[in-house]
Amino acid sequence: MADFEVLRVAMKSGKVPDVTRIVNEFLDAGEKAEDILNQGLLQAMTEVGKRFKANEVFVPEVLIAARAMKAGTEILKPHLVEAGVEAVGTAIMGTVKGDLHDIGKNLVIMMLEGAGFNVIDAGVDVSPEKFVALAKEHNAHIVGLSALLTTTMPSMKAAVDTMRTEGVTAKIIIGGAPVTQTYCDSIGADGYSEDAAAAAELALSFIGS
Amino acid sequence: MTGKEILFKALKNEVTPRPAWVPFVGVHGAHLIGVKAEEFLKSEELMFKGLTTAAERYQADGIPVMFDLQLEAEVLGCDLIWSDDNPPSVTSHPLEGGGSLAQLPAFDLNDGRLPSAFSLTRKLKDEIGDKVGIYGLICGPFTLAMHLMGQDLFMQMFDHPDYVKAVVSYCASVGTQMSKAYIDAGADIIAVVDPMTSQISSEHFSEFVSPYLNLIFDSVREQECFSSLFVCGDATRNMGEMSKTSCDNMSIDENISLGSLRDISRTSGKSFGGNLKLTSALLFGEQDDARLDAIRCIDVAGGAGFILAPGCDLPFATPPENLEAVAEMAHDRYKREVSKRTIIVKDMEHFACDLPDEYSTQPNVIVDIVTLDSASCAPCSYMVGAVNKASTSLSKPVQVKEHRISSREGLAAMKKLGVQNIPTICIDGEIAFASIIPDQKSLIKCIEESIAKKG
Repeated sequence: MADFEVLRVAMKSGKVPDVTRIVNEFLDAGEKAEDILNQGLLQAMTEVGKRFKANEVFVPEVLIAARAMKAGTEILKPHLVEAGVEAVGTAIMGTVKGDLHDIGKNLVIMMLEGAGFNVIDAGVDVSPEKFVALAKEHNAHIVGLSALLTTTMPSMKAAVDTMRTEGVTAKIIIGGAPVTQTYCDSIGADGYSEDAAAAAELALSFIGS
Repeated sequence: MTGKEILFKALKNEVTPRPAWVPFVGVHGAHLIGVKAEEFLKSEELMFKGLTTAAERYQADGIPVMFDLQLEAEVLGCDLIWSDDNPPSVTSHPLEGGGSLAQLPAFDLNDGRLPSAFSLTRKLKDEIGDKVGIYGLICGPFTLAMHLMGQDLFMQMFDHPDYVKAVVSYCASVGTQMSKAYIDAGADIIAVVDPMTSQISSEHFSEFVSPYLNLIFDSVREQECFSSLFVCGDATRNMGEMSKTSCDNMSIDENISLGSLRDISRTSGKSFGGNLKLTSALLFGEQDDARLDAIRCIDVAGGAGFILAPGCDLPFATPPENLEAVAEMAHDRYKREVSKRTIIVKDMEHFACDLPDEYSTQPNVIVDIVTLDSASCAPCSYMVGAVNKASTSLSKPVQVKEHRISSREGLAAMKKLGVQNIPTICIDGEIAFASIIPDQKSLIKCIEESIAKKG
């Protein structure tokens, strides 16, 4: 059996050429793409998420690990499709209307992908209507709303209200610097997460239930 | 002694007769005079009106000239999108995906809104500069590099560190030119605001940030002016590195422990400032919340080298009366003492707090922990830690809530639960452990009993 730890170490330190080489070697040796994904790449990303949450690594380290993961999953994709492996769920992720900050949103996307989700990046300054349209089009399980500004927090409420009225069934999770659990409760979102790693755990908990 | 003299004493790390107070008025100045952020930041006249109004109304000892970290980026070719109630945001990064510094427009102090920033400094100096310290505010080199490179910056620190250093170094040269122009126009203090550094490790800070910040601070010192380093965001891990830079003063955001900053600053011989809570106390709170938060900062800081200030620039719609309440706490020791007592003993029945009306109808057992603030009170943090640890080994999930009496919500919860000692653990509304941190076995046993009762 392949030594997945070697792959995990390469991915956690963001080494794209090493990850590319190791993934190809594993495939050549007859390892299943699904095993390489789950035991290698996704497990490594979970570890990065835990270290991020524990303040042991920071945004730059997460970004390079995610880039290495992406390089690995690109190679695996055709093999996964062939084997009929599906994502754990589909998530829409965007920064709410009036807010242009994207770093937090991008981190959450990486963590969600690292947790096995198919993620649609809705971008920044996203209107409630666009969230509705994307959630319906992709039959999303999760919609994630991000806001960095106190002044755009009301846009979260507008997005939640519109999605509820329009019959979006996805679980709505929110986060961002000024957002709190209390605010989440007050606008009727399904969950709040204080960081990107916890957002992925929260999303998974909804899929499991 | 004028407010400016008190501010200068604080900046020199001396004991002050009262805390120096610097409201970081940026776009809030627009709100104060009833205009939108965009017209404000584009009009020297409106900014003059807003800042002089703020300085007077809030009895400020110092005031920042232009709290807009996009000023330099705009001149260097970043596109901005404007907002009615926020500073503008950068929407394009000219060096994204690589690119040479030579392709940037030459940095010219006569471009964009820069001339009005320096002219505004001169006017403020003439009008209020004898009593109020003028802060010339510049975008920190790392944050400016981020404006130029976008998120690429983070990855390039690993892929092409020398390129990143060249960009940050260039941004520091922009900062040095900016600070000189501000000082020539009459600024007393140069504040370098570098919020993006809150996103990196201390190793990266020391490699990619400190040497370049020092270029600016050293040049400011040669011009016999004070320098301050503002980092908005949670920069806890980088406080040690920040304290090794050559700035005179460090100012931090609300999510950092002011007590830790105080200790680090005292050790490194710097003055320090912070860290009023922007949202919970100043923007969404009432006057008493603002008063309590100001008292918290003043009490933690002690008497020397401290500048009372918000964690970052004030939100647009901060109620002015909340800032007046803070000013009162800074200026009047007697009122501060009175507030300390009256706010706490005041009838808190009507204050909102995060407790259920009836515990028995709640699906899960609720563990309430009443603390001073687990971030700054060691026993409180142990108690919160003990509960969090116990909660992972229970037969059913429980809901754990910390109520910090540094907020009014926390005080209301304390009153409602009948808590007398800090810290205290209550289980389903009943006091279970007061002051003493229980061992895991007793704590788990006690919570399990409540779980069993709930069935």
